[in-house]
Amino acid sequence: MPLLEVQNVSVRFGGLRALGDFSFGVDVGEIVALIGPNGAGKTTAFNVITGVYRPTAGQIVLGGKRIDGRSPVHINRAGVARTFQNIRLFQNLSVLDNVVIGFNRSAERGLLATLLRSPRFARQRADFYDRGMDLLRTFDLQPKAKLLAKNLPYGDQRRLEIARALATDPKILLLDEPAAGMNPQEKQDLMSLIRFIRDRFGVGVWLIEHDMKLVMSISQRITVLDHGETIAIGSPTEVQENPKVIEAYLGEPV
Amino acid sequence: MTSSTTTLQEDFPLPPQRSGKSFWFYTLRTNALVLALLALLVPISWYAENPDRLDPYYARILMLIGINVVLAVSLQLINGISGQFSLGHAGFMAVGAYMAGYPATAYSNELHDPGAVLLFYVALFVTLGTIGLLLWGLFALLRLSRRAYGGAPLLLLLALLAWFVWDISMAARVTTGQGAPPYLVWSRLIVWIQSGFTWILERGTPAAAWVDGHLPEAGRKPVTFLLLLLGGACCAAVAGFLIGLPTLRLRGDYLAIATLGFSEIIRVVITNAEPLGRATGLSVPVYSNVGSGESPEFRIFPWVFGAALVTTMTIWRLQHSAKGRAIAAVREDEIAAAAVGIDTTHHKVLAFVIGAFFAGVAGGLFAHYDGYLNPNAFGFIRSIEVVVMVTIGGLGSVWGAIAAAAVLTWLPEFLRDPGSWIGIVTSAELPRWLVDSLAAVGENRMVAYSLLLILIMLARGGAFGFRRPSFLRWRREPGAPAAGATAS
Repeated sequence: MPLLEVQNVSVRFGGLRALGDFSFGVDVGEIVALIGPNGAGKTTAFNVITGVYRPTAGQIVLGGKRIDGRSPVHINRAGVARTFQNIRLFQNLSVLDNVVIGFNRSAERGLLATLLRSPRFARQRADFYDRGMDLLRTFDLQPKAKLLAKNLPYGDQRRLEIARALATDPKILLLDEPAAGMNPQEKQDLMSLIRFIRDRFGVGVWLIEHDMKLVMSISQRITVLDHGETIAIGSPTEVQENPKVIEAYLGEPV
Repeated sequence: MTSSTTTLQEDFPLPPQRSGKSFWFYTLRTNALVLALLALLVPISWYAENPDRLDPYYARILMLIGINVVLAVSLQLINGISGQFSLGHAGFMAVGAYMAGYPATAYSNELHDPGAVLLFYVALFVTLGTIGLLLWGLFALLRLSRRAYGGAPLLLLLALLAWFVWDISMAARVTTGQGAPPYLVWSRLIVWIQSGFTWILERGTPAAAWVDGHLPEAGRKPVTFLLLLLGGACCAAVAGFLIGLPTLRLRGDYLAIATLGFSEIIRVVITNAEPLGRATGLSVPVYSNVGSGESPEFRIFPWVFGAALVTTMTIWRLQHSAKGRAIAAVREDEIAAAAVGIDTTHHKVLAFVIGAFFAGVAGGLFAHYDGYLNPNAFGFIRSIEVVVMVTIGGLGSVWGAIAAAAVLTWLPEFLRDPGSWIGIVTSAELPRWLVDSLAAVGENRMVAYSLLLILIMLARGGAFGFRRPSFLRWRREPGAPAAGATAS
């Protein structure tokens, strides 16, 4: 049984069924993908996993514990981190601070220690910045640590968002269209980066992507959504040959 | 966000040296600096709060600057750092002022009874806590009833309301002196609360009197004052919590309107509260006895500027810590903040509570500095003044708030008679045209003040904030894209 398992989840918005009877899972060390035409419900699937929406039916299990209906904060702390389709960085904070915020849950307590600047506080702060710099170094963002996040070039912003998600020490990483707006060279780099993340951080990666070439070459398993329904599930070759998938992407054969 | 950008993060904190000893050294050094500054205030006060050396007019401006610094810096936490737009700071200040002033008039004799004052706050918070617990229990019950049936909370709430209305109308029919029948709960609730409060007061009075009798004479007044400041501030913090919770779903203009309404409610309640002197105001014992010939002398100057220092230290240290980063993250993007495990509700309410606490401190200082409280002093205009200070100082900048608080408190006084202020600096004979034009500025000072405000606002984002205008940017990372080059 995979670490994160989505079991028969449905999401309804009034009369619209955005996601119907969706089941999938990802385990540590895996790279899996969720694809489908625009409006198929891919981002809805991510939103329901990360607690932005509450599922209308079905359950989501992480390591044997149900997480459906819990708050985004709880789900992140349980070990699921994500990036967003439209980049959501903390724009007016420095690149380093963006990452260090991910360590925050170990600094929640101790208002008095913060205000008195206790040695424990100082040690923790130094420790956080060291770890943040280390993380930025793995993403080649270290020279830009002091810049405000909004002043980074687009590709760097994408990478920073992944770094920030990894700072929360997740077991499962959800990437929502990480290659959007990238040129072929950048996409190549991203592919090796995703594999590197999986090996270095030991996480399971689940990505939403439009770029077929990228998805097919990197993922072990693929689910295809169309109008909220799962139309195919399997290895890249199986999915590629599935007539329903071809129909969803290209239209009915003449 | 505006297109004007600051390329660099301000006040980039460098990690201290890496060894156990240096962390201790860092803690000691940084706190010793604060303590040294606090100690320095005492000798300064011999000069600043002495009618023989400094004209009381200037001393008063100085004192108001100190109080406004506390207000502006604490509002900076709410409006600038946490990015919520509060227009209710005068309301929190009023709570602090009246809750520091009222016990001083009602339970203390010329600020000489720390025990009695402490007892008042204990009784107050025990009573408030009990009410809070009961309300919390009621809401928990309503929530639980949802499990039985989805519409149950609404039905129960309606039933409760009906019971309440019936209760009140029945109580009105029962003639006085007969004693209300036992089933009338709601209409007697306020009496129960009052008797509970006085019960605690009566039980505690002997102990409080014993404590007061055994304290050294010279220490009683400062201790009483400290308790009053903290007690008033805690009341304001409770008010901040109460407004912080229900308005969490609001943002921008809507939050501003809600906070404004809340502070008006506070003002109206005070205007109608008998013990608080209603619209006539409340006379409060003044802390300072300089010039009265009494011994020992008590000065309020160190308290005012000590509070300004402690407020600044607290909020600056909060801003530059993990908690401050979390608060800023919630300001930047709430959804992303939740997605990296930051409890958004907690941090928004935290900013409100701490901001309101220090607004309460400012209120308590004002009460015992001025000696007279009037609800109209805590109206809408007062809130706006503080918002102007924060905005002109620059959103997000503690130092900007301090500078703006000082300048904007002093500026109207300067414009009142510019010639005399210049006379302080230089005794040289000024040219005739300059004297005349300065006098003209003084006559039209409200116009000049507004023009200056507009000028500063044109430099969008204020002097020191994170939205600093381009011409005020002096540091830029080499090789960084110029402002405006990146779309934001």
